[in-house]
Amino acid sequence: MIPLIQLRGMQNQIIHFAWKNIKIRYRGTNLGLVWMAFEPLLFWVFLYLVFTSINIGAREDFGIYLITGLVIYHNFVRGSQGGLMSLRENFGILSSMNVKREFFPVVATTTSSIVLMVELVVFFGIMGIFQFVPAWTIILLPIVLILLQILILGISYLLSITYAYFRDIQPLWGIFVTALMFVTPIFWYLEDAGGFALEIQKINPLGQLIELTHQIVFGNVPSIQEWLYPSAMIFGILFAAFVIFKKFERHVVEKI
Amino acid sequence: MNDNVAIKVERVFKTFNLKRPDGLIGSIKKIESPFTNSKIIALNNVTFDVYQGETFGIIGLNGSGKTTLLRMIAGIYVPDSGIIKINGKLAPLLQIGSGFHPELTGPENIIISGMLMGFSKSDIENKVEKIIQFAELEDYTNMKLKHYSSGMIARLAFSIGIQVDPDILLVDEVLAVGDISFREKSYKEFLKFKDKKKTIVYTTHILTDLHEVCDRVMLLDKGVIKEIGNPLDVIKVYREMISKNK
Repeated sequence: MIPLIQLRGMQNQIIHFAWKNIKIRYRGTNLGLVWMAFEPLLFWVFLYLVFTSINIGAREDFGIYLITGLVIYHNFVRGSQGGLMSLRENFGILSSMNVKREFFPVVATTTSSIVLMVELVVFFGIMGIFQFVPAWTIILLPIVLILLQILILGISYLLSITYAYFRDIQPLWGIFVTALMFVTPIFWYLEDAGGFALEIQKINPLGQLIELTHQIVFGNVPSIQEWLYPSAMIFGILFAAFVIFKKFERHVVEKI
Repeated sequence: MNDNVAIKVERVFKTFNLKRPDGLIGSIKKIESPFTNSKIIALNNVTFDVYQGETFGIIGLNGSGKTTLLRMIAGIYVPDSGIIKINGKLAPLLQIGSGFHPELTGPENIIISGMLMGFSKSDIENKVEKIIQFAELEDYTNMKLKHYSSGMIARLAFSIGIQVDPDILLVDEVLAVGDISFREKSYKEFLKFKDKKKTIVYTTHILTDLHEVCDRVMLLDKGVIKEIGNPLDVIKVYREMISKNK
């Protein structure tokens, strides 16, 4: 039982559906697809203004530190919420055609990957505005971003199938990701943290990915352990979620 | 499975949970009455074969299990027990138009549906014009589907569905879509499938012409096969059943 194997040959459909998701989301808005970049940008501007007016944002390069965490966090939230809705949103298709159920969480993750490409433009754009030149270690960034998409895929499998059986997961996930923002080192620094925040960070794969990205952006080479630990967690989540998805997918149309 | 059998349905059972009352209060009420029967039997020990090239009609009152059976043959539902075997490429025309997206235009929906049916993007793009023409929607190509009438949506869905060249076609009530002229056109297309010796499984409430179209007919009643065989004989039993129910 391996994720994605059953979807071999469906790459074109997956990409087409992912684009459709993006088009539908922004259709009718005045800015259209520009919103993909504007969403994290406006979020960043707001948080930057708040945190630089209080002590938290006083450190050098806080703007870069903030956008680094924010892009990863924002992409995770959007991706996981898309994953959560993916089966239920496509009930019409599921109830009239025999489409592989796995197709929809994978489409949601692909949508999130496309959005990430645009969000990276904002990321590097803000670096340009601050005249910040990232260290050579930035070449490691694609590895973190791939791990992020694998994490989103795992969470999408889990949330989409859970949502089919248990609708309360939607408001619960909304609360969870809001709380996650505060326990993840996005606007606070790991070296300033202790106690509960540090304990959470140990079991928070998103927090680990953000911390890896901070290191890469600011010129540190993460240790092997710092790579292996979140990778093991993320692949563990992916396989556990996929097993749960396959176990419950058979009756998903009836449950929705 | 024998080569001349296109669909084999063997000892199939299917039950559905009755909808649980929503919310916490509903759940608590349910706990208070644990002996309430919470399942409904949709199909009860159903066994039959459909042969290659055969047009097989399924009739029955609402709730008799026709749509559930077609959905199980299509692989959308899974049986609680029993076996369903399919021999050939299958195309379902079920719950027509439900897979469309209201925010997309007709041509955009054609491409999405076509790709899910297994067409490549370029193949389905080449068929868009033909589908739009068949559906008689040439003047509405830039309109979002949410502004289409239900008849227009049904015409579009039927026109996409018949583009597939399957070995087995599952048709659930969809020949009654659109206005009279479109129904006649749809019916002609349906007959073309029959002439090509495709296997067709067809559910309907319209008994007129059923004996001319179908080689055999099955009557379902509350999930049980009541009668199966010669169309005229089965239709007679069905009519008797309807008059008893009146």
